[in-house]
Amino acid sequence: MTGIKAHKDPAMPPPLTVAEGPEWVEALTLLAPDMAHTLLAATRTLYPHDGLPERVYRRVILHFDRMAAMSPAAAQSLAEFVDRVDAAMPLPFRDLSESYRVAVLTSLEESAAFRLVQRSAVRFLYDDVEVWQAFGYEGASVHLGGYAARGFNDLDWLPEPPAGV
Amino acid sequence: MTEYDLDDSGVVVIIGSGAGGGTLAHELTKRGVGVVLLEAGRHLSAEDFVNDEWGGYEMLSWLDKRTASGDWRVARDHPVTPSWSCQVVGGTTTHWSGCCYRLIEDEMRARTVYGDIAGASLIDWPLTLDELEPYYDLAEARMGVTRTNGLPGLPANNNFKVMYAGASALGLNASTGRQAINSVPYDGRPATIQDGFTVTGDKVGSRWSTLNVEIPRALATGRLELRPRSRAVFIEHDAAGKASGVVYVDAAGTRHRQKARAVVLAGNCVESSRLLLHSASSLFPQGLANGHGSVGRYYLRHIIQTVWSVFDKPVNMHRGEIMTGVVDDFVRHDPARGFAGGYYVELNSMGLPTTAAFLDPGWWGRDFAQVIEQYAHMAGMLLSGEDMPQAGNRITLNDELDAFGVPVANIHYDEHPNDLKMRSHGYKTMTAIHQAAGARRSVEAPAYPASHNLGSNRMSAKAEDGVLDGNGRAHEVPNLFIADGSAFATGGACNPTLTIVALAIRQADFMARQMAAGEL
Ligand SMILES: Cc1cc2nc3c(=O)[nH]c(=O)nc-3n(C[C@H](O)[C@H](O)[C@H](O)COP(=O)(O)OP(=O)(O)OC[C@H]3O[C@@H](n4cnc5c(N)ncnc54)[C@H](O)[C@@H]3O)c2cc1C
Repeated sequence: MTGIKAHKDPAMPPPLTVAEGPEWVEALTLLAPDMAHTLLAATRTLYPHDGLPERVYRRVILHFDRMAAMSPAAAQSLAEFVDRVDAAMPLPFRDLSESYRVAVLTSLEESAAFRLVQRSAVRFLYDDVEVWQAFGYEGASVHLGGYAARGFNDLDWLPEPPAGV
Repeated sequence: MTEYDLDDSGVVVIIGSGAGGGTLAHELTKRGVGVVLLEAGRHLSAEDFVNDEWGGYEMLSWLDKRTASGDWRVARDHPVTPSWSCQVVGGTTTHWSGCCYRLIEDEMRARTVYGDIAGASLIDWPLTLDELEPYYDLAEARMGVTRTNGLPGLPANNNFKVMYAGASALGLNASTGRQAINSVPYDGRPATIQDGFTVTGDKVGSRWSTLNVEIPRALATGRLELRPRSRAVFIEHDAAGKASGVVYVDAAGTRHRQKARAVVLAGNCVESSRLLLHSASSLFPQGLANGHGSVGRYYLRHIIQTVWSVFDKPVNMHRGEIMTGVVDDFVRHDPARGFAGGYYVELNSMGLPTTAAFLDPGWWGRDFAQVIEQYAHMAGMLLSGEDMPQAGNRITLNDELDAFGVPVANIHYDEHPNDLKMRSHGYKTMTAIHQAAGARRSVEAPAYPASHNLGSNRMSAKAEDGVLDGNGRAHEVPNLFIADGSAFATGGACNPTLTIVALAIRQADFMARQMAAGEL
């Protein structure tokens, strides 16, 4: 979208790998596939970027899975969230159209379970290097010499400020 | 490294190695005083740091639980992390973005100049700007602040070009300002490579921190023993009511008692008040140095807020130093604005991960998605302004204990009407600047977790108005000092670190003089 290249710090763990087919759920350690699909539908509704591929949302769910595996309290909140969104309408959450999904999520906004899902979705989705690339955030720079010679002052659609200002 | 005996009661024990504690350790050891520096965090180096916003946050931050109450939005958005600082050797100077401005005279005489504001507990500082100025000079030289001591300003980056265009269209005064970040090599440290990652530790070392400047030099004197991963949990006193030692827990979980000639707290405001409140005894039933009930009160966090705007063309605000821009037209107190005190508008950028997290923490849906997708076209600014001290805004102890047996702190904060008036004025100013540069959409973003924590053990001329005298010494305990921002009598508008450092250098002078005179 933006013609830039995004870099993750080489010292950070590489992105989680996720399968392109329906077998991606096999990588889950704790979450049941059904729950994972519902959480994925919720994450897409919370942060709907039509241009992003399905796999970035799947990686968010793999992070949720790790979070749940590490924290029983988080696992319980995720389960509660799924129960509540599924019970809100006569159809399971993931079969609802977008406006109904939005209505269900809005009705749960004040709950701790919603908050965990919403905050964690932001935390993991926008930390994904493929999302960085799509939205024009280049990321780590020291290993490339910083931005001193890579455009830190290349904005050219406004007048240059006077030297030394 | 020099090692001191736990029973050596000739050492000064400093708790916390950040801006205040790290600087004071250097200044005292330079003057021949033996110092034990207790630091809760690990001793990291440039190789450990990463260029990654969440990676750096998780590596450096103070993540122990706190609670929050009051009507501030932080209590809702960040209920268990209401205050933002670091737990690592170097403290939050491993993380800060280097803006360095001085308090002005009116701010140090806030009660006299602003008058009696209902609901606020303003006082004048027990020292004058004249007394502080020589120490500002020393601090600026030490930290290599740009536009002082012949050091050039940092160059304009993309985000600043937007700020400058908007501000000059409105007739406001914008410059790249002053930072403790090298624009040219200085003091053995390189010039910035504009990497944009000072907040995750600064791998390059172009920004001043106590980790890369003060602590190595203090160690080189042979008079400092730095004890990382050492958590102070209690301050003890003798029968005469003088501080006699500090109980701390080491990395293995073992408790020790380090005896002391004097004790200095520099744990970044919340921790210093918490430790004083917790260190209660029969002589000090409300907590150490808390005879007047002022410890923890008058907590300040500045009026901090940001505006993020979307433009038609790319900005790429993430490239380069984060806060190299300032508009200083609103710094002076001007009653015609309808509120007391002033504010700075400063440049601010964040990467995509934290922009998404802080833009408006509860915001989701198509509108949010549409804004954040335009990250590359976004520019940002931050406001730092003076908030009103109020007796009810305070740090207290919860019943819940942390892993070390110390009660978890609660931070209560209600916004004063003056605070709200300044917030509204500031949002209008920032939005107007971006609009004048062609912004298509501006988002008024709420405060972060408090990054400027001040005032909760304040200096005061009269003992009943605060906790400390003008040298940062407890009114009630003659060998107990505070070297962090909790000592501020009022907050002023500017980012606090330069003042914390200047006060620490001044305090070292005072302590060394007292020691030479046999009084400490
Ligand atoms: C994102 C961000 C950006 C900032 N940018 C700026 C800026 O541009 N300009 C500016 O002026 N300021 C800035 N600040 C604020 C600045 O970081 C602080 O003002 C300054 O670091 C405070 O110094 P301090 O000595 O009080 O505390 P710190 O530097 O936080 O150091 C306190 C140390 O004490 C240790 N400690 C606490 N309790 C204990 C205990 N019980 N036992 C042992 N050790 C303990 C902590 O682990 C920590 O290392 C920023 C802050 C943040 C969060």
